[in-house]
Amino acid sequence: MIESIVSSGVAIGCVYALIGITYNVMFSASRVFSFTAGTLGMLGGVLGSLFIVRMGLPVALGFVLALAGGAVLGIVTEIVAVRPVLKSLDQHLYVLSTLALALMVQQFTAIEWSTEPQPFPRLFDIARGGFDQQFWLPMLACAAVIVGLEWLYRHTLIGRAFLAIAEDTYAARALGLPERGLRLASYALAGVIGALAGFAGGEMLLAFFANAPMLTFYGFVPVALGGMGNNRGAVVAGLLLGLFQQTANFLVGGIFASVAVFTVFIIVLLARPEGLAGRTLQRRV
Amino acid sequence: MSTPAASWRLSRAKEPGAASTIGAALPFLALLLIGVLFPLFGGGYWGVIATRACVYWVLVSGLNLVVGFAGQIAIGWVALLTLGAYTTSVLAAGTVTPAFSPYLALAIAAVVGAIFGLIVGLPALRLRTFYFAITTLGFATIVTQVALAWQSVTGGGVGVAGPIFPEPFDSQWGFYYFCFGLAAICTWMTANVAASRFGRALTAIRDAEVAAEASGISKPALLGAVFMFSGAVAAVAGGLFAALQSYITPDAFTLDLSVLFFIAILIGGRGSILGPLLGTILLTVLPEFAAPLVAWSTFLYAVLLLVIVLAMPGGIAEILDFKNRRPLESDRAIIPRPDLVERLLGAPRDAGALTLEQVALSFGGVHAIDGLDLEIRPGQVHGLIGPNGSGKTTTLNVISGYYAQQVGAIRLNGAALPVFARHRRAHMRIARTFQTPRIVGSASVLQNVMIGGTIDGKGTFVESLLSLPRHRRDEIMLRDTAMLALAAVGLERLAAARADRLQHSELRFTEIARALMLRPAFLLLDEPAAGLSAEEIGRLGALLLAIARAGTGVLLVEHHADLIFDICHHVTVLNLGRMLAAGTPAEIRSHREVVNAYLGG
Amino acid sequence: MPISAADPLLDIAGLATGYGKIAVLRGIDLTVGAGEVVALLGPNGAGKTTLLRAVSGLLPWSGRVRFAGRDLAGAGPRDTVKAGLGHVIEGHRVFTQLAVLDNLLLAAYDLPRGERAARVEQAFALFPEIAAKRHQRAAALSGGQQQILAVAQGLVRRPRLLMLDEPSAGLSPVLVDRVLVVVRQLREAGTAVLLVEQLIEKALALADRVYALARGSIVLEAKTGEADLPHRLEHAYLAATSRHP
Repeated sequence: MIESIVSSGVAIGCVYALIGITYNVMFSASRVFSFTAGTLGMLGGVLGSLFIVRMGLPVALGFVLALAGGAVLGIVTEIVAVRPVLKSLDQHLYVLSTLALALMVQQFTAIEWSTEPQPFPRLFDIARGGFDQQFWLPMLACAAVIVGLEWLYRHTLIGRAFLAIAEDTYAARALGLPERGLRLASYALAGVIGALAGFAGGEMLLAFFANAPMLTFYGFVPVALGGMGNNRGAVVAGLLLGLFQQTANFLVGGIFASVAVFTVFIIVLLARPEGLAGRTLQRRV
Repeated sequence: MSTPAASWRLSRAKEPGAASTIGAALPFLALLLIGVLFPLFGGGYWGVIATRACVYWVLVSGLNLVVGFAGQIAIGWVALLTLGAYTTSVLAAGTVTPAFSPYLALAIAAVVGAIFGLIVGLPALRLRTFYFAITTLGFATIVTQVALAWQSVTGGGVGVAGPIFPEPFDSQWGFYYFCFGLAAICTWMTANVAASRFGRALTAIRDAEVAAEASGISKPALLGAVFMFSGAVAAVAGGLFAALQSYITPDAFTLDLSVLFFIAILIGGRGSILGPLLGTILLTVLPEFAAPLVAWSTFLYAVLLLVIVLAMPGGIAEILDFKNRRPLESDRAIIPRPDLVERLLGAPRDAGALTLEQVALSFGGVHAIDGLDLEIRPGQVHGLIGPNGSGKTTTLNVISGYYAQQVGAIRLNGAALPVFARHRRAHMRIARTFQTPRIVGSASVLQNVMIGGTIDGKGTFVESLLSLPRHRRDEIMLRDTAMLALAAVGLERLAAARADRLQHSELRFTEIARALMLRPAFLLLDEPAAGLSAEEIGRLGALLLAIARAGTGVLLVEHHADLIFDICHHVTVLNLGRMLAAGTPAEIRSHREVVNAYLGG
Repeated sequence: MPISAADPLLDIAGLATGYGKIAVLRGIDLTVGAGEVVALLGPNGAGKTTLLRAVSGLLPWSGRVRFAGRDLAGAGPRDTVKAGLGHVIEGHRVFTQLAVLDNLLLAAYDLPRGERAARVEQAFALFPEIAAKRHQRAAALSGGQQQILAVAQGLVRRPRLLMLDEPSAGLSPVLVDRVLVVVRQLREAGTAVLLVEQLIEKALALADRVYALARGSIVLEAKTGEADLPHRLEHAYLAATSRHP
């Protein structure tokens, strides 16, 4: 029993952590959060099912196409919902534009794909049971993303350019860095990470349009608790969230588990609005 | 208190007066007429749609104050609809408690809604925008989940029957008129709030929060009131919704519905009552015109939202704002009238001096202010100059309560000023302006100036809601005073214009007019001359001297040496957070060290 | 205009710019010749930083700006850097979360890989004090060292004209001198410099020509050798205008 809680908790926690990282990568590039992060997760699962189950494509190809789909939504988010409002005097328009885009994609999926959860393919032809692939696939994905991002930021110039933009956009621009292109690339990367989260978690969550609002919320909890832009915090918080949720699920059942998660989330956030690892804001007049 | 303003009335054409009020009321009267006569030409099916639109508007009218006026992104307000629906239904059904009359059940639901509105809304005071939006979404999900799980009370997935209202409201048209009547009352109440100091204060919190604080507006109190009102009417809408549906289950309260309410407000335009009203009607009715559209309705709402945000953030209200399309005069000059300043500010009172004693403040390792003594006397203009980074603006921010000094005291007439209490400064008659003008762009110049006098209103929120006499007296007083202030600074001809159409220099004078609404004992100005032409600087100087002559102590933080030397009685020169020199302008000008520091020798 | 005079490297005519509704600069005329050091002086709020931001493309502007014969209308910072116009912004803003080496590599972002490494080594050769810390995070550097790093970033692209915005701000006198030695080195290497400075005496000691900016327009232009210059500058800064209340 404990094994099952731990493996499912860590697995779903990895999915939440990856969505949190998606939020963070977009935030680092533009200083705004986007509602499309959860939708990207949903899309990873839906596209995976579409390409592999409905269209019969080989798993590897379906995987690549699903990630490509995520990159496309990431790029569309930047061009349509973020870039036009960054210049605006009204600082909060991005909440509305990204919400609108996320809703459009979710509704389109519900109508054109299905309103019911659809099966997600079994990716590796191994017998079910024990430490099943639906648990270790998300963990593998999460580890791969963490390692990949480390390599990107440490060993590639573009990764370091991302860090520069995240720290000081103005200085980066003055230095001649291609700020717009880098932001677009960041959003594409975020799209890939989000889609990967949904694809790797597909066997657990199935291909369901309603995963989008669920992941929008649960994927944001790691960001809120771990600190804005803090990927390590997001991973730790995501894992804790997954474990807490599965434990509560086991003890009091699904619905009260959600209530429990939400209540804890609100209380922590009200006590420390910057997250458990974040720093407090300074006022500017 | 209203004597100086009331005894003086500018009857010039540009003052927004009676004619424009009737103009503003016309669309509402037209809708009222259509609504009353609707049953005569609408069929049974359309009756349901019309009733639904009224029920939705009851909720949206309250949410409009939260989203449209206060600018809080509360996406998950369907939670309150759910709460109200279940509370009313369960109480009226008598399954858990003895059966209540539907009216009483509705009233109790309103109270429950008010309480939960406050609970859902209060995190807005602590959380940033996106975080708050996410928490409201979470609330909406939780409430629906609880409805699903709490089978003994809510019937779980099976649901409960909605309340049935007694005669004459049990027929379709009877119930329609009931909902219509409530919708009309909600329209009236929220329109009253919009045209009150509370409505203006909400827009100030939304668009110019630091200016709202400087004007004495308390964000928690005001948001609390608005969340409670919004929660209450949303719950009432829930009860009506349950009656309309006759039977409710948890999956009637989808996120789509929440999105509809929210988008109706944004399509309608923020800060408007008519816009969201039309938006609600539009979004309720639109899917009915084409059957295939019903499935795509939420998709279309989302597209509409995106288009509005990108192309027309002002929404329907902006489209209907004809009077702000008329061009403004092209060769406008700002000509203050110093004689009116005296009339506005009244006779000089002896407020005592504002003193800083050995004030120090560091950020990180940097000494922003390093042991500063300063005295601002009533009736005098005190200049504060120095190179960049010398601590001028920081000093002003400490006096006005935005930063707290770490050492030393700031005293007003001997009594120490509380630290960090920036919204209390207005009550002490300390007013200020900002380096970049902080105004509500979508409101008129007059409304912006009236915001400055918010704390002088005596009527409560409820009195404004019901347009009781004290609220109306407040409005007249604030309007007259604001017109006088605008005339004093030379902007009365622009009173009705939208503030974001004004030039930068005009916005600076608007801020001064707003500050004057407080009849300040002390006026703190943060680089008011920046961006002004030479004549405008001259007129600004004359205005500030007139303000000082009326007894106000003026602190002028400036770069423009000319203005400082022309009008200041005393000048303090800062460098690296310390006082470098202090004295009359003539003394300072010839002070060797000052010249060097200023030029950076 | 003398026929024998070469076209200036940087030629600004009638420049106007501001922030949103606030007009800050009007009708600016300014030139910098190849290899010249020009100082731009003026009191706070005059618009010196705004002028540099407009020229390097960080702000929109109207008027005419030509650099090395090329019209800079519509050019952003990336274009101006590629054209050979460098801008070291105010406040020694380097990327503190990245290593010193990475800061310089990023300055060479658009260059091919091999060349990038070579340029970075050349920058390190000019500034041994930061070469010693190449693998440390920029946050570990002192303010003065960060300023030197910022100047090094500006030099990696070997600009023909380098604009420096108050490089001495916030630095101790020793470090100020170090930075100004760098400026002298630049001049000797043939790089033109447009130097915005608060420290008048030091700037005059280095520059060939000086402009004074006050209240949004140029109020003085002179060669640094001219007599009575400090007095004329003071007068230009603090001159009262003719109007009185």
